[in-house]
Amino acid sequence: MRTGGSPSSAPAGLDIDKVSKIYPGGTRALNGVSLCLQPGQVHGLVGANGAGKSTLIKIIAGAEQPTTGALRWQGEPVEWRRPADAQAAGVAVVHQQSPVSPALTVLENVYLGAGAGTIWNPRDRQAEFAELCAGIDFTIDPNEIVAGLSIGDRQMVSILRALARRPQLILLDEPTASITPAERAGVLGAARRLAATGVAVVFVSHFLNEVSEISDAVSVLRDGALVDSFGADELTEERMVAGIVGNRLRAIENNHEPLPPGEAVLEVRGLRSAAMAEPVDLTVRRGEIVGLAGLLGSGRTELLKAIFGADRRVAGEILLEGQPLSGGPAAAVKRGVAFVPEDRLTQGLIGDWEIWRNVSLADLGNLSGRFQRLVPSRERARAAQACAELGVVAPSIDTPVRELSGGNAQKVVFAKWIYKTHAVLLLDEPTAGVDVGGKADLIMLIRALAARGMGIVVVLSEFEELLSVADRVVVMNRGTVTGGYASDEVSVAELTAAAGGLS
Amino acid sequence: MTVAASKLGSKPRGGSAPAPPEMSLRGRLRPALAGLRPQRAGVVYALVLLVLVLVIATTAKHLPAYLSSVNVSNILSQSAPDAILAVFMTVVLISGNFDLSVASVAALAAALALKTIDTIGTAPAIILALAVGVAVGAINAVLVQKIGVNAFIVTLGSMTAVRGIVLIALNGESVTANSRALVALDSTVYKVPQLVAVLAGVLLLVLAGIRLRRLNEENAPPLDGFFLALIACAALLVVIAVISPALLSQPLPVWLMIWVTVGVAAALRFLVPGRNLYAVGSNAEAARLSGINVDRYKMMPFVLTGLASAGVGLLYAGRFNSVDPNGLTGTELTVIAAAILGGTSLFGGAGHVAKSVLGTVVLFTLSNGFNMLNLGSNYQYVVQGAVLIAASAVYTIAAKAPARRAGNDGSVGGTAPSDVTADERAGTVHPEVSGS
Repeated sequence: MRTGGSPSSAPAGLDIDKVSKIYPGGTRALNGVSLCLQPGQVHGLVGANGAGKSTLIKIIAGAEQPTTGALRWQGEPVEWRRPADAQAAGVAVVHQQSPVSPALTVLENVYLGAGAGTIWNPRDRQAEFAELCAGIDFTIDPNEIVAGLSIGDRQMVSILRALARRPQLILLDEPTASITPAERAGVLGAARRLAATGVAVVFVSHFLNEVSEISDAVSVLRDGALVDSFGADELTEERMVAGIVGNRLRAIENNHEPLPPGEAVLEVRGLRSAAMAEPVDLTVRRGEIVGLAGLLGSGRTELLKAIFGADRRVAGEILLEGQPLSGGPAAAVKRGVAFVPEDRLTQGLIGDWEIWRNVSLADLGNLSGRFQRLVPSRERARAAQACAELGVVAPSIDTPVRELSGGNAQKVVFAKWIYKTHAVLLLDEPTAGVDVGGKADLIMLIRALAARGMGIVVVLSEFEELLSVADRVVVMNRGTVTGGYASDEVSVAELTAAAGGLS
Repeated sequence: MTVAASKLGSKPRGGSAPAPPEMSLRGRLRPALAGLRPQRAGVVYALVLLVLVLVIATTAKHLPAYLSSVNVSNILSQSAPDAILAVFMTVVLISGNFDLSVASVAALAAALALKTIDTIGTAPAIILALAVGVAVGAINAVLVQKIGVNAFIVTLGSMTAVRGIVLIALNGESVTANSRALVALDSTVYKVPQLVAVLAGVLLLVLAGIRLRRLNEENAPPLDGFFLALIACAALLVVIAVISPALLSQPLPVWLMIWVTVGVAAALRFLVPGRNLYAVGSNAEAARLSGINVDRYKMMPFVLTGLASAGVGLLYAGRFNSVDPNGLTGTELTVIAAAILGGTSLFGGAGHVAKSVLGTVVLFTLSNGFNMLNLGSNYQYVVQGAVLIAASAVYTIAAKAPARRAGNDGSVGGTAPSDVTADERAGTVHPEVSGS
């Protein structure tokens, strides 16, 4: 099974032949998928959440075995029973957030467990490391401690770590999902350069522009089946979107009727938390959706957290429906403010709990009986109603939210709030990691909530989405508000420039 | 599955219609039977197995009947103080914290009560002891939650420091009191009439019946292990009342143990603060951002545990009418072991107080058995330790097994408090695209 680590003149990369995967519960995750991953090519793999991308990646990485079908590696049939088998054959995987050891240096992380004997000789490794970095045109101090790096640089460390094993096939699973646009360019460039050295690169991403930018071939998965596959010459974003969504909702319409602005529901004056560089002013009217545009680290999340009281306020005041708001999240929630956090599984939901206990978590006060008695039937009725109204797709309301796809989990987070919140909804990247169909659902939901009279503040890194949902956009840069636009009089390009500090 | 479930995905994107609601009794009992799995009911099996072994061993050696009411009462009254501590230790563990100071606090309360009871009177002495317990609990709570020091370190420190205060207060000698009030506290026997016990058993069965009927209502939660526990308790009550009515006479600590367990278990299961406690222990950040006062739920368990520890100290003082400076040393570890035997997670968010009480009973049954069989108490620690490790291993392995069958990639931890397990879910997965 071991085919050695050095590049050889083997015929082709990985041949995936009619692979199907049926889980013991009966879920058919993949259905007769055939693909050929060629050395020297970047192969884009796209599809909605739940389309089967993750399962396919797990099979290529040896973490799962196909139920039927076969893999051929460099012409030879292979059966990878565990990730180590695939690794030994020359397959490396970089996940969306690959674990790195924060306490170690970059160099130590890159060669961690690389099997270089028992004696650690940094000097040999430094030369090797410099070569690796040169290969993907990236510079970083090998002696820097990883804890001090940005998420994007950590992602590059993960990629370097994969490269240090001299793979012949590298899987990049959503490598750009949580990093800034500038860092994306580095990752994408690295993928291209890798392909140029004869490595087969699989690039999995929700960002279709990135896929079309760097892929030599693209395969589209939908409902576990390969629905389209084409080369770079035939590649258009329209074709990808059509393949991904099928006959579902296609695109998010860009113009919506601006609502007549109501009275101010939220007024923020000179607000600053310890995490914020500068005090911020912000006014949100009833029925208004205010978008916060900014790069990662521009203080968007910190502003939302300060309004919600999740970060302690050090200066300024907040008026909610004309009355001062102070105290922590409990006080804000009581007054009708809701916060949908960026990381839904660690901040928004209790992963082990069922849908129904998550939906009722923030509103047990209203769902309980006298003497704080829990009334499960009432809670479950709300969860069932929420699932129906928001279109949560799950086996039952007893399904743990950990098992839901990104879009469905996010709908559960919304379900926590929409039956109780009446004043202000603070949304931090509500569509991150959500497939195209789910995004459209969420954006329509946000508009519907605004139409109900809530004031909404939304952070979205995808400026196209931000412009399609917001009435007004506020630009933040380095912790302070640098500008404001009505969303129909600003373009994505202008917004990108403004968020990037250009005027 | 249920009517509620069939409403789900009313906006499905190409999904098929969910299965029709299941109405058979067997189908309804299925989720309840999940409560019989080793990772859920392990401590019950351990107790049954242990008692069985001891019954056989004592019979073979022609010793007095192991399950005689005298011996069972012995085990119960020996277990009671530690079991009460185990209840509150479980609450602390569910909240995601840890308390090593319980035994020292109990010893301090005992010492203070015995030292002062003859001079300031019974009630003031008891109040003083309880107040000191609350104070130590509050100090632990503030240091852990407000200052942010690790709970293990804080309570290791308070365990040591409070023990030091005991040594200072007692000046290295044991203390006794003339007052018999505390002795009465420990030894007064209360009897429940047979008829009352039978009626209580019938009442529990009626409650179980109501629960079964309510399954017809829309949105009724599925049955779980609690339903079986209800029936088991009912059966136990009736059997005891009929076969061994002598067991219905127990000293106050045993009744306290039972009432505290029932009360705390009910609060955790049926009240909003109970749900919130599990939420805070499972994911404190998600709980905080949901508007739950996390500080309160992290701090209250320490204070309650301080109070309960002091109360247990009073029972201890009454049992011997004296306390020596090293009294109760090591009890905190027994109590934590009991909670772990009961399946409580050290990572928070999961645990059941009744199972921790059973865990305590397992430990005391073990030592009682060693005494009965005259096996030498030196070996009993080896066995206790082995049982603890074996129990944890069984919980861990059993928790992983169904996850693997369901095709999850092993990410299901051993701590899930949810009442539906992975393989049941797998049975209901419908062929929907957004499932992964």
